[in-house]
Amino acid sequence: MSVTLAHYLAVSGVVFGIGIAVALSKRNAIAVLMGVELMLNAVNLTFLAFSRFSAAFSENSAPIAGHVFVVFVLTVAAAEAAVALAMAVLVYRRRETVDLDRINLMRW
Amino acid sequence: MSDLNFDYSLLIPEFILAGTAGVVLLADAFRRELRVSRSVLPGIAAVGALAAGATSLLFVNEHDNFASLVAVDNFTTFFRVLFAATLFVVVLGSYEFVSREIRHQGEFYAMLVLMTLGATFLAAAQELLTAYIGIELLSFSAYVAVSLQKHDPRSGEAGLKYVLLGGVASAILLYGLSLIYGSAGSTSYAEIGARLADGTEDVHLPLLLGLVMLIAGLGFKASAVPFHMWTPDAYEGAPLPVTAMLSTVSKAAAFALFLRFFSGPLLPVVDDWRWMVAVIALLTMVVGNLIAVQQHNIKRLLAYSSIGQVGFMLMAITTVSDASASALLLHMGGYLITNLAVFMAVIAFYNHTGTEEISGFRGLAETNPYLALVITAGLFSLSGMPLLAGFTTKFILFQAAADGGYLWLVSIAVVMSTVSLYYYLMVVRQMYVYEPAGQPDADSATVHDERRELRWRVSPASYVTTGALLLAIVFVGIYATPLLTAADRAVAVLFPA
Repeated sequence: MSVTLAHYLAVSGVVFGIGIAVALSKRNAIAVLMGVELMLNAVNLTFLAFSRFSAAFSENSAPIAGHVFVVFVLTVAAAEAAVALAMAVLVYRRRETVDLDRINLMRW
Repeated sequence: MSDLNFDYSLLIPEFILAGTAGVVLLADAFRRELRVSRSVLPGIAAVGALAAGATSLLFVNEHDNFASLVAVDNFTTFFRVLFAATLFVVVLGSYEFVSREIRHQGEFYAMLVLMTLGATFLAAAQELLTAYIGIELLSFSAYVAVSLQKHDPRSGEAGLKYVLLGGVASAILLYGLSLIYGSAGSTSYAEIGARLADGTEDVHLPLLLGLVMLIAGLGFKASAVPFHMWTPDAYEGAPLPVTAMLSTVSKAAAFALFLRFFSGPLLPVVDDWRWMVAVIALLTMVVGNLIAVQQHNIKRLLAYSSIGQVGFMLMAITTVSDASASALLLHMGGYLITNLAVFMAVIAFYNHTGTEEISGFRGLAETNPYLALVITAGLFSLSGMPLLAGFTTKFILFQAAADGGYLWLVSIAVVMSTVSLYYYLMVVRQMYVYEPAGQPDADSATVHDERRELRWRVSPASYVTTGALLLAIVFVGIYATPLLTAADRAVAVLFPA
């Protein structure tokens, strides 16, 4: 049995699901960030799979677009980690915690 | 690939903005070597904003684009000018606030400029990757800007919440983009539109999933319910000028992308996404306006009121047509002017009093009648009172939505407009009905003199910005034709006859 587009999409869907579950359920800011990274990697896998297999359903499209997209997503993910960790440090210095339940100066 | 247009002069406004951000950062870093004071930083930023807005006016045309990545047409020009003007007003009106409250001023102004840059790319993008980079440039600068008021613990907290929720939303948006890329086989808007017009039976499921995620992600950026949780916290924690930018530039940019993407490439599948946007519009206007009623912090009040406004604007996306799109652009223009007037007045108020509580506004009509007038005019315009910008633009927007067949949505919007009048009037009541705090006894012989002493004045820069915005509110309210013409010409690009 050969590996097809559907297999890649299934894996990326599962990884994305795990990522969003982690991001929404964890109370630690760093763990939430890890969830976001998982989600972004699932996106990368989807882009690569579509890019690799897109020639199969459309001849005139440039399959390179998906690959380029992945490079940019990786870069943005790195920048995002840097910004989020800097914020976590900023909050930790003042509050000595990065537990999102205890970071609650503002409530509606 | 050789027929692509690589004319770099089309991107002059973007180059100016990027250059301004760099110069502001360097000028702050090397200000001792250069022997300049920090007061040149807002000057540089303001000149950059003016130059970017002025050069944008060179590109009034229907069809130019840069390498099929960035469109430089009337639609882009409209938003470039709008964003540059907003940046100019915010920089000018917040100078006093920033020099007192913000330690890293170079970074602060650079982040404001970069937000504007990301927003213009978002409005101009003709391709998914460019749009994504625009979104992230806008968001990342906003994350940092929100957390720059370092002595206020709420600022860092708001930044952390914003960056985490924003990261989740971006990832969801990106997954949606990847599914749309997979369904259409291209990242270019034109090719996506052509592919979807050919029929979507074989890709229906991924496409629908992609649409749901795209709307969720964009809804987060525009702060539509149920993706609005970050808005009140980020607005409250952020320094006031950044709140002003978030509620104007960042929101308008999300709607620019909404319009460009949903009126073009996604028009063939309009029946798949129209009902989703209608439901979100309904939820947004109801929840935003109802929660606003019980706020006691002016920033949070304006946050929820801006969520309510997003609900009204989403109606125009639901009834996608050239009439509703131009009404949306018109309302966006009026909303930006009005919201900026309110925020600039609140910044001037905060500079003097240091409070953000609505109860702190009591007796403002006594102590500073001018500022009370500006805030009142702005709030009345937001709620849609006649003679002010909000009435005209809201009227045209509601009419376009009703003509598009969404009368039920419009009737709820009218009810919610009335609700919004209630909480705006609560602020007005504080200013006009109650006496100022620390009021001398009425039987005191010197009551007149002591009332005089409670009076205070706003700074000249605040006078200029709030005065100009107040005039603009009244002007658009009485004579909206110039703005409407500009909006019509901008959307003519999206809906070729």
